[in-house]
Amino acid sequence: MTFPATPRNVMVVVAVMSVLLALTVMVSLTLGAVHLPWSEVWGALASPGTNSEAAVIVREIRLPRILLAILVGAALSVAGTGLQALLRNPLADPYVLGISSGAAVGAIFALWIGGRIAAASPLAAFVGAVITMVWVYLLGRHGGRLASYTLILAGVITASFLSAVILFMLTLLSTRDVRGIAFWLMGDLSVAPVTELRILAPAIILAIAGLYVFAKDLNVLLLGAEEAAHLGVNVVRVELGVYILASLLTGFAVSASGAIGYLGLLVPHLGRMLVGNDHRMLLPTAALGGAILLVLSDTLARTAVAPAELPVGAVTAVAGAPVFIYLLRKTAG
Amino acid sequence: MFTHIIGRTREAEARNPSLFPHARQQGRVLARALAAILSTLLPVAACGRIVKDQTGRSVDVPDHPRRLVSLAPNITEIVYALGLGDELVGDTDYCDFPPQAKNKPHIGTMVNPSLERIVALRPDLALGTPEANRRETADQLERLGIPLYGVTASTLAGTLASIEDLGRILGRAAEAKNLVAEMQARIDQVEKRIEGQPKPKVLFVVWYRPLITVGPRTFIADVIRAAGGIPIGESLKGEWPRLTLEELLPQNPDVILLPKTESFSPSTEEFQSLPGWKDLRAVKERRMYFVSEAIERVGPRLVDALEELAGVLHTTQFINMEKRQ
Repeated sequence: MTFPATPRNVMVVVAVMSVLLALTVMVSLTLGAVHLPWSEVWGALASPGTNSEAAVIVREIRLPRILLAILVGAALSVAGTGLQALLRNPLADPYVLGISSGAAVGAIFALWIGGRIAAASPLAAFVGAVITMVWVYLLGRHGGRLASYTLILAGVITASFLSAVILFMLTLLSTRDVRGIAFWLMGDLSVAPVTELRILAPAIILAIAGLYVFAKDLNVLLLGAEEAAHLGVNVVRVELGVYILASLLTGFAVSASGAIGYLGLLVPHLGRMLVGNDHRMLLPTAALGGAILLVLSDTLARTAVAPAELPVGAVTAVAGAPVFIYLLRKTAG
Repeated sequence: MFTHIIGRTREAEARNPSLFPHARQQGRVLARALAAILSTLLPVAACGRIVKDQTGRSVDVPDHPRRLVSLAPNITEIVYALGLGDELVGDTDYCDFPPQAKNKPHIGTMVNPSLERIVALRPDLALGTPEANRRETADQLERLGIPLYGVTASTLAGTLASIEDLGRILGRAAEAKNLVAEMQARIDQVEKRIEGQPKPKVLFVVWYRPLITVGPRTFIADVIRAAGGIPIGESLKGEWPRLTLEELLPQNPDVILLPKTESFSPSTEEFQSLPGWKDLRAVKERRMYFVSEAIERVGPRLVDALEELAGVLHTTQFINMEKRQ
């Protein structure tokens, strides 16, 4: 099932997905460990002056968390879509390239030396992601160009090396720090950083828009790098641009929410089943679809064992792996 | 910022035990709006002092906290021991002592509580400890305007100090003093009884595959010392260090202690079959004891654990312990 990616069709898909996202958000706002009737939720949103407990719960706990889920879901899914096209490999995702492990090392390192400065940890995570991204890029380059398999192997090796570094650092940290970092490693939206949302939102939206600029080039690149070059695509520029933007998106997402797995792998596949291979259509679909899926997953994480909470990464992994296997079997058969 | 609604009486709550009773009562909406406006206009006169808690955070503690939320089982025990059980409006899923604590509204687990549950309980003070809670939770409560007072203790003396500190903060200084004096008297009594007794070497098993024991600067090690034992692993680093058999064998513990929990109850036979373990003196002489979970709670019952332990380590002196339990 594919539509031609005419501007009109793209608008239709974006509109439909946006409505779905809005519905998901509305449902998610009404669900939580505390039962709030819809009228209370609406009242809290409609009259920003009130300070009832319901208003605080809706505006200061549920809403920031949902916004973060939207941003992180979109960022990881778009990053995955870009990387799968760039590397012409359906298994590529932000985690395969080791970027999240780099972010984790950064965050733990900040805890290790900084101790109490909690705010330093997202920044350190981002720095870790960027350093890893440059390192893997340098390893994966071959004759000035990105070599798909070399890059993936460089990422996998870097990721496993960094995992070992993480384990090593964890044994040296005190129990109470490990407790916090464990949630972070599993991916966790429960500490939605309200102030950081103001920085994250424009950064992620800009990076997604930047990737969309390459949508047509990515379509051509699917034919193969040689063919794309013959067709007038500046392959080096596209590779570098997409790689940097996808890595930045991963870095933003991981620094805010820890390592949430499977989304970047799964959503591009779901998107291709829905709208086909044209990235002008696929990228916005993946962004909105990823947002919807992560909001749903986090709603489940908040409510499944309420009042206790699950790390959302556990939900996406438990739900993601079977779905991925199902897709694999279905497309293979 | 989140301010608490003024003018909601206890009687109103008794009539409406649900979390948001007013939600379905349209007539209350106006009163609530009024209260909300009032609460933003009035200077927060009810709120009292900025104090530093035991973790170094500055906390705006109300003069007379009336709605407490406890974020850890040991704190729940202290709150009840200070006679503030009625003021406790919420505790964790793991708060099981005293038994009434199980019936309080729960806010989730220590490491990942539900913030919205906490907000809905309208606490004027939350009580936590870095030994059980996450720093992220503390940051979030701060953002939501819920003062969190943190206590921390890694010794028996520190436990007493925590209880006294909480007593001061919660307006129960006299009760806390009495409780601490009583606990101190029992500690002194144990000290007197074990005087001159040989000190057995004690291995406290937190987990046995791999072997994890207690670090020398934990409250459990402190209780073992106060009970007249020498905790194995004085040179170990960290709170819950791993111990290899190679390190354990030359230290040859006289007594092995295991916490008695539902999920952890290996049999003596199991240890005797573990390679290396059967040669340990404690295993050969069958001096392996399950101690009650009170030893894991930094609260009033830590003294119970101390007496129990002293009995186990000096069986001849404390022969009556079994009957008392």
